[in-house]
Amino acid sequence: MDQIGVSTCHQNLKQCFHTLETNHKAWNSVLTECTPLVSSLGNLGEQLRALDNIQVGVTQLHHFPDLQERLRFKLLQAVDVVLGKLTNKMDELQKLLKTLSNQVSTVFQFYEQNTDTLDLATCTLRSATSPSIADMLEWLQDANSYYRQQFLRRKHLLQVLRPDDLSLVEEVPKRWESVDSPDGEEHISDTLSRVSFFVDS
Amino acid sequence: MDESLTPGTKGNLTGSARKLKDNAADWHNFILKWDRLNDEGSTTATKIVNLVLSKEPVKETSLLAGADADLAITPPMGADTLRSVKALEEECSKLQEIVEKMTRVVSKMEKIVSSERGICDLETFKFGAKGRDCPLFLSWPTSDFADVSTRLCKCYRQELALKQLILQELAHTSDPQLSMVYLSAWLYQPYVDDQTKLLLESLLLETGHRTL
Repeated sequence: MDQIGVSTCHQNLKQCFHTLETNHKAWNSVLTECTPLVSSLGNLGEQLRALDNIQVGVTQLHHFPDLQERLRFKLLQAVDVVLGKLTNKMDELQKLLKTLSNQVSTVFQFYEQNTDTLDLATCTLRSATSPSIADMLEWLQDANSYYRQQFLRRKHLLQVLRPDDLSLVEEVPKRWESVDSPDGEEHISDTLSRVSFFVDS
Repeated sequence: MDESLTPGTKGNLTGSARKLKDNAADWHNFILKWDRLNDEGSTTATKIVNLVLSKEPVKETSLLAGADADLAITPPMGADTLRSVKALEEECSKLQEIVEKMTRVVSKMEKIVSSERGICDLETFKFGAKGRDCPLFLSWPTSDFADVSTRLCKCYRQELALKQLILQELAHTSDPQLSMVYLSAWLYQPYVDDQTKLLLESLLLETGHRTL
């Protein structure tokens, strides 16, 4: 019984790490697609700011009295288009997050239902090829919370944007970049390499 | 030759209907051409602004050297400066060519307007002020074609005037903010609005170039 519990648990963990690996790649590729969108958002913010700063009356543009309003409308429209695309990207990220979260909670549920067989000694037991169940559960939980946090921070960043607060729009690229966490990324890569023997076994 | 016998049929339209349908196709093509020129111009305009703004420090040093009268009048020109001036000149003439092409497109648009006004006059002459009983295509009275063309033409004429101004000013603007406004005004075409697209699409739909 002991062995069956452990091997099912291992099976679940393997599946979960597989998902983590594919998600890790997919997540980064979605983020790469976001980069040009984010920078064009910042660029549009700068253009809107420049439009606000110039005094049309003293430039040659005074021949076009309605230009400022019309151009602002067009620029805001362009902002909307970019934001729409970014929202789609955020939806993709959310889907990836959801898949991972579901898998992780399945593993935890299994563990909680089988605490009788998966006692402390079993869970902390590790071998040359397989880390302990306790460690692996912890890594999965860390990965899950890392992605959740990343997602929420990016989503929040986009949600607080307002057309009347240009500084927020201008700073999007900088703030988007500041959410990047090389340490967190490295942690995920480390986890994946730590379990590579185990997953392939 | 009674063109009202063949309303909306493909291929064998004659007279006013033929002319209006061809004009609608021309509108579509002219606008495509305009958009292409606009993209080209936008790239060139961006290059001009970059060249002008990168040239700025040279100007400042020559201003600083203002105490020396000779230097102030003929600031020293390094090989780099000379190259960038030449590049600037090239880009400016490229932009000028583009604006000239755009001017030609607009003058062709104006020809469409005048030909459609002519068609309207012809109809008034043939059918009186009330116009023909049966529309040439789906539902538009003939005067609508002239109206739509006039409105489209007005947008592009205004846009052209803006481009001509940008062409004149762009290379002489040292204020980065103003340059940026010129660039975004070039790219985002404030006078070509959603209404313009809607007018074109309804024109194409009415004349049967687009199907429902």
